[in-house]
Amino acid sequence: MGKRDVQICFRFGSGTPDMERHRSSGARTPLNSALVQRRSRSKSYRLSYRSCLGAASRLGLTPALTARRLNTSRRAPKSHNISEKVSVEQLALLLKKEWKLSYVTPLYRFRHTQMRGYSRQLSAFIAAEKHQGLAVDVEAAQGSFRASFSVIQGMTETDDDAETILIQIHSKSSFPGQDEPQRALWSGWLTCVYGNPEYLNSLPKDFTCLPLFCSSGSEVLTNAVKSWFQLTFDCCFGPLEISHTSLQWLVALWTNCHAECNIQHLKMIWSVPVVPPLQITYTVDGQDAWELWNSLRRDPQEEGEGGKDEEAGSNIDIMEVERFMQGLKGHFYRHFRLDLSAGSLKQVSTALGLAKCNGRMKISNSKYMIATLTLLTECALLKMPM
Amino acid sequence: MAANQSASGSSDSESPSLFDSSSQPAPNSRSFNRSVRVAEKERRKNEAEDPFVLALKFFSDVEAGTPAFGNDNLERNLVLVERVAYSKGLSPEAISVMLEFAMSLRMGTSPCVRVLKCLVPASVVPQEAVVRAMVWLGVCKIPASTQVLFIKWVLTIFDMIDAKDQLRAIYGFIFSFVTEEYLCPFVCHLLYLLTRKESVRHFRVQKLLELQSKLGRQPFLLHLLSLYKVFCPEYVTLSIPSRMKSGFRNHNSPWKSALIAVQRRNGSQIASSASLPSTIKDKTSSRKRKHYHLELPVLCSQVNKQAQTEPSLGRKLVPLVQLSSFTQLLDHMHRIELPAQMGSLLGSSLALQYLDCVQDEFALLRLNFWLGYALHEEFLFCGDGRASNSEEALQFLDKLLSTQHFLQESFSSTEVFLYKFLSVWDGSLLRPQILSLLSNIPVVPSSQIGRLLFEPLMQLFFTSSLFFKCGLIECLNSMLLKWLVWHSVYALEDDLDISLNSHTSVNMTLSGFKDSVMELVHFVGRLASVGLQLEGGHSLLLSFILDFYETGCDTFLKYGLPLIVMFPPGVFFPALLSPDPVSVDRLAYIMYSLPLGGAVICGYF
Repeated sequence: MGKRDVQICFRFGSGTPDMERHRSSGARTPLNSALVQRRSRSKSYRLSYRSCLGAASRLGLTPALTARRLNTSRRAPKSHNISEKVSVEQLALLLKKEWKLSYVTPLYRFRHTQMRGYSRQLSAFIAAEKHQGLAVDVEAAQGSFRASFSVIQGMTETDDDAETILIQIHSKSSFPGQDEPQRALWSGWLTCVYGNPEYLNSLPKDFTCLPLFCSSGSEVLTNAVKSWFQLTFDCCFGPLEISHTSLQWLVALWTNCHAECNIQHLKMIWSVPVVPPLQITYTVDGQDAWELWNSLRRDPQEEGEGGKDEEAGSNIDIMEVERFMQGLKGHFYRHFRLDLSAGSLKQVSTALGLAKCNGRMKISNSKYMIATLTLLTECALLKMPM
Repeated sequence: MAANQSASGSSDSESPSLFDSSSQPAPNSRSFNRSVRVAEKERRKNEAEDPFVLALKFFSDVEAGTPAFGNDNLERNLVLVERVAYSKGLSPEAISVMLEFAMSLRMGTSPCVRVLKCLVPASVVPQEAVVRAMVWLGVCKIPASTQVLFIKWVLTIFDMIDAKDQLRAIYGFIFSFVTEEYLCPFVCHLLYLLTRKESVRHFRVQKLLELQSKLGRQPFLLHLLSLYKVFCPEYVTLSIPSRMKSGFRNHNSPWKSALIAVQRRNGSQIASSASLPSTIKDKTSSRKRKHYHLELPVLCSQVNKQAQTEPSLGRKLVPLVQLSSFTQLLDHMHRIELPAQMGSLLGSSLALQYLDCVQDEFALLRLNFWLGYALHEEFLFCGDGRASNSEEALQFLDKLLSTQHFLQESFSSTEVFLYKFLSVWDGSLLRPQILSLLSNIPVVPSSQIGRLLFEPLMQLFFTSSLFFKCGLIECLNSMLLKWLVWHSVYALEDDLDISLNSHTSVNMTLSGFKDSVMELVHFVGRLASVGLQLEGGHSLLLSFILDFYETGCDTFLKYGLPLIVMFPPGVFFPALLSPDPVSVDRLAYIMYSLPLGGAVICGYF
């Protein structure tokens, strides 16, 4: 008995009667199961034991590491012409590729000025790993792989965030003098976009926080790069999954961008726990999704002051996201009598990008990249052990 | 004779001063002096006639070019020397003479091998002799097999060389022999024993890599290069395949039995250089771990070295991985370099000793990050369908507990992890370890203690078995004990306030500490009262509760905390009226130990 795949495409009829139907249908559907948010305790204050001896204390847990949960309200993503600040070639390397996500604990003594040295060391390390038992000179360029580190300037907005680092591994071609640019065998990048400033400021100066690591390429090379980072900067890598809540946020954030950039469709993949396992692909036309979203957003604001449209429109609250999801699920229930709350959201994709719950994502459009990366950075920071 | 006379004359002039203070009459002292002189002369004559000494004289005075074949003198003297060597070993002077004779090839190459084979030292080997011999190695046309034999001999007696500084000074000269293919393995071994950080230079690394490309993957090259990597990882990097044997091969076979016999006769135990502390960590786990976050990182030296402000200091740092004994740790205490991954310090007891002295905040923060990461990945972030890794998790937690026990305090990442874990713990997974970890946490400010600690514990307590309840009470008991001990050690005696280091944001005063202790005591009181009701006054639970109050009754007398811990009625009455005589006895003992025991009883009735 295999999996069943069901594809359903919806095109909502335009006009208000449908909207009202949505709202009322939203009231009739069974209540959504409580979203389980990860409740973390806030950290206590750590006391120093060596106080009386005058020695330095171990790291005290500063009040900056307070209750960590996903932000309940976010700024609506604005069209960000990021290509003004970041070079087009570097951007092209990041877009349209599927990345595997990991979180990284802060790096010790990482210097943005030593990229060349790091490239050499990483090349030598990979050559040594590949040929077990063969010593490799670090300073000479040996081996069949060439690693290159580069800094992607312009992706960060605030001073707290460290600059993004891009790592590429090319294979050394045996025929010198080729003109066409080599495609990288493996690439990865470390980034921190709008990280929590309190947390970033609580870290000592020697630590660089680049919590999000995206990799694309063979598993062997990924492990080699991670080992090298662990040895050199005493950091730890762990898998980053995109939680249910984060995927819902992406649904809302991406739909919100439809006004400025056509998302073409909103495609969600749900998995329902039945036997045999059922996977439902639920695609909504972009315009319809936008209209639903808009209606949910505008109503509570109409009840409030009408003059503050501009400001209030820039913040999206978790309640709005939940209502939006309720609306989508309610519509599905009306037609199929299947409540999607029983299942879980596995994948979200629009023309702007793709995100899967097992920690893979793709960015297809550079304009709203920053918002996506902000969300992912936040997810990564939530996994920091301290 | 003349020399003898003057010697005895000088001894004569010295002897009156020696015996000045003695009460012996003068004629006796003179006869005594005469007997000393006579003994001296006897000894010198004996020495001069000693055949062994004569043999040595022969070997040191023989002219270059004397034929060896058919030389009876040579044969006789050599047999004599061999006999002495195999019976009680050669003295340092004898070794120098014989080595010089052999390596200078004065009588050709044939006696050289025989002499080398009989060079069994009795006590020490003078390093000048070895240095001179190395010089001869470079100068003379010694046949290849004899050269190899010589190097093997040096490796065998390496630990008996009295000092190594001259040998280290000619490191470069010894290094030049690496290019000879037949000598290469043995010279690499010797270099391995002599290398220090100053000897690692880039051109030497390049030379070895050239050799590697010529000879292929040879273990001796790899071992030497891995030692170079320990000292200067910025020059070379390599990874040892797990199948390779660690350490060099032994080369002491021609001398091994003779050495052992001599040492046994002399009663001296000189460790042979056969067993070297290898810097390569052997992989004990053959099966590949799926979840590698519980694996302790391998101890290796730091790659990412910053430019030191004082370059001379930078060269002198000793990587921690190089130290193999406690005495070495003490010798280099002020200039030890921390390893690349701080988590590796938990792996060896020697490194733990050093961790205790580490004051560097950044290093401890790195350790805490790694530890927190391992704990979070294992217990908090695990997937739902994952088969529990409980064997490895158990070992990991045991190791962590023994580390904390050794250091007498807990890591802050453990504390953070526990607060998160308690809210999702089911009370039975790895219970003893989790409860032990919990008992190690430091004093929690009273404003936080309720939310962080008491609420999850209360939920666990009331929904669990009797044994968990007992375990938890015991855990809180040991927590109270540790807090009290901490207070008694660190409170300044003449100050009323324990004001802590201003690094932390909370100033814990004495009153704050008392508040926390009182909160804890009240909490245990509440747990105990309701627990006893739930379990119907079970005597096992009662015994653990009374343990807690026994600890509590010593607060003032033993630990100097001005606080009285009293029973709540919910504990007092079940203990007083319990059918179990032991409980009543203990209750009475506690009340007796309490400073105001009488007042307590009156208060309840």
